[in-house]
Amino acid sequence: MSRRHRKKRGSGNVELNLAAMLDMAFQMLAFFVFTFKPAPTEGQLTMNLPPPVAITNVDQKPDPSNAGGGNGGSDENTLHIFITANDRGDADVVKIGLRPISKGMLNKVALRTLSDELKTMFGDALIPFDRIQLAVDPRLRYDELMKVVDVCTKQKLPSGQLLQRISFVEIPEGAAP
Amino acid sequence: MSGSSNSEGVDTNLTPMLDLVFQLITFFMLVTNFKGAAMDLSLKLPVLGSARPLEWSGKNEPLMINLNSTGKIRSEGRDHEIDPFIQREARFVKLQLRAAGTDYKEGDDLPVPVILRADKDVKFATLNQVIRTCQEVGYRQFSLSAMNRAE
Repeated sequence: MSRRHRKKRGSGNVELNLAAMLDMAFQMLAFFVFTFKPAPTEGQLTMNLPPPVAITNVDQKPDPSNAGGGNGGSDENTLHIFITANDRGDADVVKIGLRPISKGMLNKVALRTLSDELKTMFGDALIPFDRIQLAVDPRLRYDELMKVVDVCTKQKLPSGQLLQRISFVEIPEGAAP
Repeated sequence: MSGSSNSEGVDTNLTPMLDLVFQLITFFMLVTNFKGAAMDLSLKLPVLGSARPLEWSGKNEPLMINLNSTGKIRSEGRDHEIDPFIQREARFVKLQLRAAGTDYKEGDDLPVPVILRADKDVKFATLNQVIRTCQEVGYRQFSLSAMNRAE
């Protein structure tokens, strides 16, 4: 009887000391609060960058050693865009092949014109372009280049796929077309 | 005397506070991103509305390259020269691929994307050097980073 009574009283007195757990929880909370950095709203433009191809004259016969091209692809499937820059690193002239598309800063109007031109060219199933090669002035700043890259990656191939194959080459100084 | 016995009897109920603290801990654990440590947050990225978060489900971690406006790659708090850094990282990835028993052969494309975080003032010549070096060692998939909106 007395034994049973003692047992009852013992189970009723069990008390969890929450203070220690609270201390630890606050330490963990402090750690996470101090190490917390909100992630920047950063995104990516994903693309396949094969090695560049040699730019050939359209009047010449294609170089058989380059045809088919493996990773590099062939020049006849490549649309060449040339971007020159001024001394401040802003875009100066943008050309598709030898045809000027915009002069001066790359504003919305210039980018819209470029986009419309590309849409026309890639929408034509008879023109076999599947990649773009950007020949860029070495002085051009990255944010100016990205405006053009952004327009290029939005283009759709006749198959419906988004264009992802873009390559870059540097225009040697004084060699702008 | 009776007053002192009263004060001894005061017992704060800590359970709701503990509940709340654990909820806060859970929140911070879920939103904390330790991978952000690999990013150099001092870089000013270009702003492009069409940039989307990278969806990568491969086994190998993408190679993150932070290219600052001085033309150096910033990694682990130090500036590195472009070519040696990329070549070292590529060697490491190739070793990892061989150790994992994949059928990777020397000269194959590396099945690892490169995330290129370049400052918006970086000149194309520097950027092109990075891309060329990456291509030479076998990288083909690139993601160019940009902010979704100006901050």
